[in-house]
Amino acid sequence: MKTIEEINQKITNGDAVVVTADEMTSIVSQKGAKKASEEIDVVTTGTFGAMCSSGAFLNFGHSDPPIKMSKTFLNGVEAYSGLAAVDAYLGATQPSQNPEIGLDYGGSHVIEDLIRGKEVELIAEAYGTDCYPLKMVETPITLDKINQATMFNPRNCYQNYAVATNSTPETLYTYMGTLLPNSGNVTYSSAGALSPLLNDPYFQTIGVGTRIFLCGTEGYIVSEGTQHSTEVERRNGIPVGSAGTLMLQGDMKKMDPDFVRGATMPKYGPTLYVGAGIPIPILNEDIATRTAISDEQIICKIIDYGIPRRSRPVITETNYKELKSGKIEINGIEVPTSPLSSYKRAKMVAEELKEWIENGEFLLTNPVKSLPSRGCTVNPLETNKPAVLVRDIESKSIIMTHSDDKINDVARKLVDNNINHLPVVDNNGQLKGIVTSWDIADAVARDKSKLVDVMTRKVIIAREDESVDIIARRIDKHNISGLPIVDKENRVKGMITAEDISRLIGGNLKNENGGDSI
Amino acid sequence: MKAWLRFLPSIINKAIISDAIKIYEIDFNILRAYITPRGGKMLVEINGPQENESIQYMEEQGIQVTPIMRVVTKDLEKCMDCGACVSVCPVNAICIKEDWMVEIDNQNCIGCGFCINSCPTKSIDFME
Ligand code: SF4
Ligand code: SF4
Repeated sequence: MKTIEEINQKITNGDAVVVTADEMTSIVSQKGAKKASEEIDVVTTGTFGAMCSSGAFLNFGHSDPPIKMSKTFLNGVEAYSGLAAVDAYLGATQPSQNPEIGLDYGGSHVIEDLIRGKEVELIAEAYGTDCYPLKMVETPITLDKINQATMFNPRNCYQNYAVATNSTPETLYTYMGTLLPNSGNVTYSSAGALSPLLNDPYFQTIGVGTRIFLCGTEGYIVSEGTQHSTEVERRNGIPVGSAGTLMLQGDMKKMDPDFVRGATMPKYGPTLYVGAGIPIPILNEDIATRTAISDEQIICKIIDYGIPRRSRPVITETNYKELKSGKIEINGIEVPTSPLSSYKRAKMVAEELKEWIENGEFLLTNPVKSLPSRGCTVNPLETNKPAVLVRDIESKSIIMTHSDDKINDVARKLVDNNINHLPVVDNNGQLKGIVTSWDIADAVARDKSKLVDVMTRKVIIAREDESVDIIARRIDKHNISGLPIVDKENRVKGMITAEDISRLIGGNLKNENGGDSI
Repeated sequence: MKAWLRFLPSIINKAIISDAIKIYEIDFNILRAYITPRGGKMLVEINGPQENESIQYMEEQGIQVTPIMRVVTKDLEKCMDCGACVSVCPVNAICIKEDWMVEIDNQNCIGCGFCINSCPTKSIDFME
């Protein structure tokens, strides 16, 4: 048994024994936890991953004449400034206002630019008051000139996380990176055995006020993070899915650009890569055992991100040893894996923190308060407007055409009903394709007489049990004007169009006026 | 070897490449092709004992041949070795090394561009 005070004394004397979490795994397996707990004083952990729930409080200082900023933009990225006069909170995932830049530059990039010492353009608008008469400010700022820049991240350092794949036939662009069709790849985000909260899974040493490594400088744990959850199934003491989280803060003026990075998940949006490391004091044998966790012992679930619902189906289980090998097996097929967090930089974080402690520059802290280790669950947002399903839509009488029909008859059907596309079905009413007025024109021009030769076979469909909001997204994504509704047996039940959806959810679909035909 | 072939519209109708393949018995693999009314360019892989002679022939016939060592480049300053690009490569040309650095093997790269579009820091680009 040791105390934090004793360990700090050793650190000050320069004789504390510090190892990284991956080194600890082999030390404990060689010497046993008891001996290791006597010899080792501190284990350092590290992670460097995309942490969307991050941002920064900035105080710009007062201009002359003064302004009470009600809208602020930094390099065209909006920050929230509904607090006092010259404070703002810049969220990492906020994309640029400029539609030409869009997702390529956002709050996270502004944070990186500031830390790199670059000039950032501040534009602030105000309504003007007697004490703050100015209505507009436009000026370059740099990190060293503004009063405070405090990184404040509501949810970082997830204790384990889902592993993603995509069973659908199309590529998906998600916060878990690019997911290839038909489970063509797998992505994961945790640093595994090096990850902070996996080395202290019951929060025995990590708590409110703990001093940590944050983006190259010292930071602090404010409290448990948002969505902190403790009631997740555990294996080897480790939650098998996303569980505990941390709220962190640190002084941006002291941060090192090597350990923080603005990034954009393609077609998803900006996110901040945060380097965070937590020292774990080895006070007893139990804590030593916990820090010896290996990648193989950390189990996680592979989730199908092809289903855009709150609870996505679990495909199978794996562990970080398998994931880090570069390929895993799903249903007997070998699938390549991608980490999304940098293990190389996670190790750099753990090494750097180790060095600080060895050099006596960083002392450990007793938590002011423990983090909750039981009784926390994440509740869903129950909306009072339940999701409208496709089947709830009042279907107009269905106009279809048969795959044996003649081009002339199909053309007449389109004209008579004043429509642009028709689902093509077989004798059982099952969907075979779709034909548009353009296909018919094409058939005439090329002298084709059979419908099957001109129809499109790959049809984007809506299923009866899907939510209308998901269909709205599909219409947007494929830039189409409508799609056939099919039941479980692939029988056509009707058509759903962009207009139907706008009417229903009052949404503003991009291509209300038709867009490309299907 | 890999090379960019550039040609003007005036020679688009000539069967230069199929002649080169026949005369010099080369393996000729088209990795990417951009053809416009103003001419075109192709990224190709040429292999065979007479590959140099075949290139000389193509050049004589008016094709501009630029051999390349690398199809794509990775900006080491920008790359943070996250590995997001690794699993999207269809030919396993990107791998994570012993020291967890992410490396692209340009020998195997076919220039599909998937990695370019999936990198969160836009660190990868085609070599011009
Ligand atoms: S995705 Fe980009 S940043 Fe990540 S390893 Fe590949 S090149 Fe580097
Ligand atoms: S361009 Fe395509 S083949 Fe080449 S490394 Fe990138 S993903 Fe692989």
